[in-house]
Amino acid sequence: MSKTTSGWLFAAVALVSLGAQPNQADAGDPMAVTTLWNHNFAQPRPWHGGYYYQPYGQPTALVVPPTAHMRQTHSWGVGQNLMWPIHHQFGRSATQPGAAGPGQFMATPQWPSHTDQFGIYYVRGPWD
Amino acid sequence: MHWQLRGPHQLGPQRLASRKTLLSFAPALAATVVACHAATVLASGGETIVSSQVISDTVVDSGTTTIGDGTFVGDGVVVDGGMMGGRTYGQPDLFYNYYTQGMANQANAQMYLAPVPVPPNVGHTFYTYQPFYPHELLYWHKDRYHNFYDNGRGLNRTRINYGGNPIHQAASNIYWNYLRLPR
Repeated sequence: MSKTTSGWLFAAVALVSLGAQPNQADAGDPMAVTTLWNHNFAQPRPWHGGYYYQPYGQPTALVVPPTAHMRQTHSWGVGQNLMWPIHHQFGRSATQPGAAGPGQFMATPQWPSHTDQFGIYYVRGPWD
Repeated sequence: MHWQLRGPHQLGPQRLASRKTLLSFAPALAATVVACHAATVLASGGETIVSSQVISDTVVDSGTTTIGDGTFVGDGVVVDGGMMGGRTYGQPDLFYNYYTQGMANQANAQMYLAPVPVPPNVGHTFYTYQPFYPHELLYWHKDRYHNFYDNGRGLNRTRINYGGNPIHQAASNIYWNYLRLPR
């Protein structure tokens, strides 16, 4: 095999392997173990924090891709940066209760000091 | 990101009947399809089938034809076998929402409308075509959608690829992973 032929072959193989990458949506977890963990962790934990979103009056879910894994919170005054896994995911089952009554959630403080105080919380979109 | 839609492919009742997932049961009628759901024993043959809906695609003789335990097929009429409590193939939900899950929520959110619902007196539209749901565009994947229509006589299959240009993505990966200065 000549040098040029092998060079072209290498380029073609490289192109094919590069092109094949993005179609693997959840590579690295073929048994979907983290999906199961996330599901199990979501069951006894609320998807929301203790605050409501001011323009809506309820804690508000922000849809993120189902491939998203972590969220970051930021607080200031007493500074803090934390990473949290995103356990919750939207599903088909209709759940109770729907909306919370007045007074169940706190308003964003006059001087917010944490990103969770704005009442918007990540929930992953469904797979299907 | 863009999407490519293939199909819809129409599967007629004959092809439906040949699918392994559906048991075909055609004692007297060529195009009679029995699609199955809850367990029942037929009185005549004593064979167990998994629930049934008798669907005739062809116009049989105008009289009634008796099948097994007395359920009958008329002129292309769907006859509930009497065991399934009104399961309908032809009328799937136009739209069904998604909700937050779990046992510990003090409030739950629905996914559409996003980010928040509008007041009821405003009114809203909703998506009736599943392949075009916006949340499908959140990550690269492929999907297949199946829909019964015409009371289960046909199955509509749609394949869609939610993705982008792989060459563009490869170039972007090379830039962000190797060429970009970390600053």
